[in-house]
Amino acid sequence: MTGALFAQSLVLGILLGGLYALLAAGLTLYFGVMRVVMIAHSAFLILAAYLAWYFHERTGIDPLLSLVITVPLFFVVGYGMQRFLVSRLRPISLTTMSVLLTFAIALTIEGLLGFVWTGTQRRVQLDYSGTSIEVAGVSIAVVKLIAFGLAAVSLGALYLILRKTSFGRALRATTQHPEAARLVGIDTDRVAGLGFGLGLATAAVGGTALSLDYTIYPSLHWHWIGPLMAIIVVGGLGSIPGAAIAALLLGVAASLLQVPLGTTWAQTVFYLALFVTLMIRPQGFFGGRLAQRF
Amino acid sequence: MRATRRLTVAAIAATAALSLSACLASPGQSGEETDGADDPIVIGVSLPLTGDFAEPGKGVQRGYEAWAAHTNENGGLLGRQVELVIVDDQSNADRVASDYERLINQDGVDLVFGPFSTRLVVPAAQVAQDYGFLFVEPAGAAAEVFTQGFDNLFYAAPAIADDHYNHLADDILALPEDEQPKSIAVASMDDPFAMGTAYGLRDKLAEAGIEVVVDEVYPPNTTDFSGIAAKIADSEAELLIVGSQYQDGVNLVVALQQQGYQPQMAAISGAPTNAEFPAAIGDKTEGILAPTGYTTTAPYPSNEEFVEAYTAEHGTPPAEDEANAWTTGQVVAAAVEAVGCADPTPECQGQLIDWLHENEVETVVGTLGWDAEGRPQSAHLIQQYVDGEIKIVLPEDVKEADLIHPKPEW
Repeated sequence: MTGALFAQSLVLGILLGGLYALLAAGLTLYFGVMRVVMIAHSAFLILAAYLAWYFHERTGIDPLLSLVITVPLFFVVGYGMQRFLVSRLRPISLTTMSVLLTFAIALTIEGLLGFVWTGTQRRVQLDYSGTSIEVAGVSIAVVKLIAFGLAAVSLGALYLILRKTSFGRALRATTQHPEAARLVGIDTDRVAGLGFGLGLATAAVGGTALSLDYTIYPSLHWHWIGPLMAIIVVGGLGSIPGAAIAALLLGVAASLLQVPLGTTWAQTVFYLALFVTLMIRPQGFFGGRLAQRF
Repeated sequence: MRATRRLTVAAIAATAALSLSACLASPGQSGEETDGADDPIVIGVSLPLTGDFAEPGKGVQRGYEAWAAHTNENGGLLGRQVELVIVDDQSNADRVASDYERLINQDGVDLVFGPFSTRLVVPAAQVAQDYGFLFVEPAGAAAEVFTQGFDNLFYAAPAIADDHYNHLADDILALPEDEQPKSIAVASMDDPFAMGTAYGLRDKLAEAGIEVVVDEVYPPNTTDFSGIAAKIADSEAELLIVGSQYQDGVNLVVALQQQGYQPQMAAISGAPTNAEFPAAIGDKTEGILAPTGYTTTAPYPSNEEFVEAYTAEHGTPPAEDEANAWTTGQVVAAAVEAVGCADPTPECQGQLIDWLHENEVETVVGTLGWDAEGRPQSAHLIQQYVDGEIKIVLPEDVKEADLIHPKPEW
């Protein structure tokens, strides 16, 4: 491996890891707040990407602006989904049943995407699709930089919401100990709904970022959910910083391993990390008390 | 003792299940044989309408449906209407086998047409072979399709995958020494068809002494191509060979552009001949080469009729997948008309198979004839994006434009 190729792969890994980090953050948030395994997270991601593509197709405006519509929309949908579907599951079997429920939702979204926009593979064509910035011999694609920036800003915002607002404190309290949270007067049902909305809003941001640089088709979400699930387990279920760190590390590892091993084997790094985690540290590498209880 | 009894019960259950399925299967089959002349000829097809091959799968579906509609408008086959039964195999090789099993066994179809892509053609052809059915297929071109011992299979296109680039390979090797590319970077989807096409060209050039500097294979579910692009860009290979299906080809080309890689020649099978390609890549297609088994402008007698009928129905001209599907229809129809039967009996299917082994058929992709394993005996046209449009550049006698070399920057 030449030095230039190493540097290029490293940068690509960080850029990809950033996007993974944002998506995994949403996924781990659902689990933290609700103990819900949200299989449909990446289906919403693709839905958001389709909406961005359709928005661009119809108006000719930059697909990034579709965020103004999709983020609030997904927040409301997420809130509704939690209040009217997920919260109706029996608490005792919530985690297992949520897999079935969200699996069904993922299939429904995939089917509807195919029904409305057909199976034709779509791509947003932008003036800057193939443009890149050259820094010290490393090409950084503008679209990847934008996606990374979006992910970083959203993760930062998510962190601030959780740390600095009273809603964030209530959400963290609900995550850590729902009964105790209810005792101190937190409306945990409402908080859980809002938390779910927040998680789905990250899918809207991620999907828009995805639409800039990927060819999309209805079944694409299955390719994303596997690595994301692995990331949140490695990071420690429910831990947002854990998910972000694991995403960055695994993204970089996959990108670097791709050079000597090829694409097929590099993809297995996510699952190898998952197996190693389950064997030696099942609560995840960055998870806190919550993760240890599960 | 107990074990024996359990075994007995299992045996009885199995027998019951078998006789039940035989009962279910028989009415369909015998029905087709006895009442007759006015019933439609039912043709069973399984296609990847969802999943990884949904895009080309739907193209094949459009082709089959257009062929059936056109045939029915013109009096049908043997004076009977044709009716397609199309099921979705979700791009799944296990599913495609059970689909054909069901079509033949339970639905009692009279004929079958093949699915899309080598991965699905092989298991499907095996089922057809087991039932003695004629199996003409529009898209299984990899070498391994023809080495499984099928004697019922015919590929309805001009050439098998390894021969797609033959005209281009000859052209490159005929260039003066200093104009020939000196290094090759290859990236192909882990798919027998994509690899067959790309490796056909790679091997012919490597044999002539051109160095292969990158040789990458990626799984069909790959979405991020920046890593492969980084490797290719780092190698600065002068000739780029990509074996793609669709989205992978588009994503790889964009990733290569993002990293400033500029090959002198880019030969990409799959994606570029897709009508969506220029819309996805924008104005950076100039000079990209692609082999094609079909173009709307090819001067074959039935092609004009096909383009007209298809365009009238869909508003857009047909692409290669549609054409190969239509060709499949033409090939089967030619055999049916010549032999004079279209029913699931082994006698009829056997006659259809024998007829195709001995005869040539006029189709929208030219005159097709097959060897004993079902390999068509021609080569593909080579197209190139010239002034923003994809045009035939090789072979010389049918070209629409001159080949551009070296390729302009993208």
